[in-house]
Amino acid sequence: MQRIVNRFFGFRASFTLIVFIALLVFFGIFSADRSFFKVAHLTALARLAPDLGIVALGVGLLMIAGEFDLSVASTIPLSSFVFTKLLGWGSPLIICLFVTFIAGMLVGFLNGMMVTKTKLPSFIVTLGTMLFWRGLIFAASRMMPIGIRAWLDFGSWLEKMLVGSLFGVVPVQILWFLFFAIILGVLLHFHRFGNWVFVTGDNVTAARAMGVNTDGVKIACYVILGFLCSFMGVMQNIRIESFTANQGVGFELKAIASAVVGGTALMGGIGSIPGIFLGTLTIQIIENGLILMGAPAFGISAFIGAAIIIFAVLNVAAARVSGK
Amino acid sequence: MKNKKLMVIALVTLFCFAVMVPSVLFAKDDKPGKGMYFRLVTHGGNDPFWAVFQQGMRDAANELGCRADIDLAGSDLQLQQKRFQEAVAMRPDGIALVINDSTLWDKPVADAIAKGINVIGTNNDDEQGSAGNARLAYIGQNERRAGMMIGRAVFEAAKKSGKNVANLKVAAAVEVPGANYGVVRSSGIKDAMKEYGIKGDIEIIDATLEMTTAESRITSYVIAHSDLDCLFGLGGITTDRITSALKNAKKKPGQVLAGGFDATPGTLTGLETNYMVASIDQQQYLQGYFSVYVLYLMKKYGFAPQIDTGGYLITKDNIELIKKLSPKNIR
Repeated sequence: MQRIVNRFFGFRASFTLIVFIALLVFFGIFSADRSFFKVAHLTALARLAPDLGIVALGVGLLMIAGEFDLSVASTIPLSSFVFTKLLGWGSPLIICLFVTFIAGMLVGFLNGMMVTKTKLPSFIVTLGTMLFWRGLIFAASRMMPIGIRAWLDFGSWLEKMLVGSLFGVVPVQILWFLFFAIILGVLLHFHRFGNWVFVTGDNVTAARAMGVNTDGVKIACYVILGFLCSFMGVMQNIRIESFTANQGVGFELKAIASAVVGGTALMGGIGSIPGIFLGTLTIQIIENGLILMGAPAFGISAFIGAAIIIFAVLNVAAARVSGK
Repeated sequence: MKNKKLMVIALVTLFCFAVMVPSVLFAKDDKPGKGMYFRLVTHGGNDPFWAVFQQGMRDAANELGCRADIDLAGSDLQLQQKRFQEAVAMRPDGIALVINDSTLWDKPVADAIAKGINVIGTNNDDEQGSAGNARLAYIGQNERRAGMMIGRAVFEAAKKSGKNVANLKVAAAVEVPGANYGVVRSSGIKDAMKEYGIKGDIEIIDATLEMTTAESRITSYVIAHSDLDCLFGLGGITTDRITSALKNAKKKPGQVLAGGFDATPGTLTGLETNYMVASIDQQQYLQGYFSVYVLYLMKKYGFAPQIDTGGYLITKDNIELIKKLSPKNIR
């Protein structure tokens, strides 16, 4: 029994799991009319939380490799813009998707190349690329939202695939979130690429000495994140039925917060995909749960900020206790 | 000899005619505003409102043949002040300024006018108008009146649907809590609440600028407040997300009466599907357009008009015109 308990607490995500379950119970009991577990709220959560979650998976993976990417907040609307323009030009849906994903991966690749070749802090490089792409989007779109209904019929296969519902109840967005979490989880925790990611983030010099192509690992993580941002950009575009230049605003910091709440270390080398998955849901249920409890909707950001700080402190404490 | 002379005169006349006519026909008329330069200093940023404002400005500048540039300070008041000082230093033929603070702009505007630069207010004005600021004219919508217009539209719909108007529960979602636009518009809605005898107060939802976060927070609020009767979006983003939020919360059209601002795709869908009662088109194209024209006329002839660009109530009945013009950045 002691061995099982020790093993459980050996995982960084274990603390996040305990808090997640505790929050579910807390909000389930104290939300107005027990509305937290109502079908309306759970389906809304399953439909909307994956927008941040899919991006947070990639951001967390990159953080484990020891780098940051603030440009996610621009890659998302950029992808949405590319997709919308291709739709408007009459391109087949599959081409629209393919080119959009390539665009996202290219942005990631450029970020990765700049970070690894210039040796500048990724925070600064990706802050620059975030502003650069955002400026381009504003100039190209003139900040006007572009509706897609003129080019995308209701009930198209793409709409069903990305924003439909399974059996008319379960939003497919949560299934996509689970899908990417499983793929990245296997990659990070059961494949040698995952070992390379951890060792690159933990000690890049030692990793190179061991023969790991650390630059290649980082670039690969940036490309994966670029793809996830473009996927999410398209998914959000179809759900809101338009491109808007404000898509993804603030996600760069919220995704980092999700990863930190899920046990990912800011310095790199530590973290887990299950932790990031739970971290995203934790932040989302805190936000929703407080509003459902009747907390002042005007000052909800204060509560979320406090929760992030508490989690970050507790994660550091948990790491010290577990000796990591 | 005489015939030869006549022939030469005729040929020269024909030649002159042949040269003159095309040059008269194809001569470019100098546009009236040629050589003039105007600067519009705003707190605008990354939202569709300012794209339409800019389009109006560009169209006016093209018609007049003048140059016009716009500063978008993105709600950063310090940056906006810096841009204003830079504009004054350039000595343009006129400046249109968004006066989004009733005390901060008093001295800068007075100093600029003392230097001989025409300064007018656009989009936002001093709370006391010309009594509070030396600006020479004002072009814009009265935001408080716009709030009152949308409030009246929604509360009238509530009355017609048989709801107990005195006890209506009212909430409004805003992108940036405390921002001037939200405060003034919600004041207008409160004026409408007073007019209809609604007892309670308006609860403000901090929705943020991000689409998914706004939708999620509004959804949670609607689920938590099953007695909600009326919901407003105080900006374009929150108004856009209201329909989806009401659907997420399993509300049917008419259960919660909604209204807001601007004509984004989500808002137009809401109007067409009866989730939304009405939305205010701020006609900001006219603010950009008339700002340039007034500065031109002021420079040339000294005119100083006050122009209320009003607010246009979009409902299901007049939505087609908006849908046609929205892609062209005119509505």
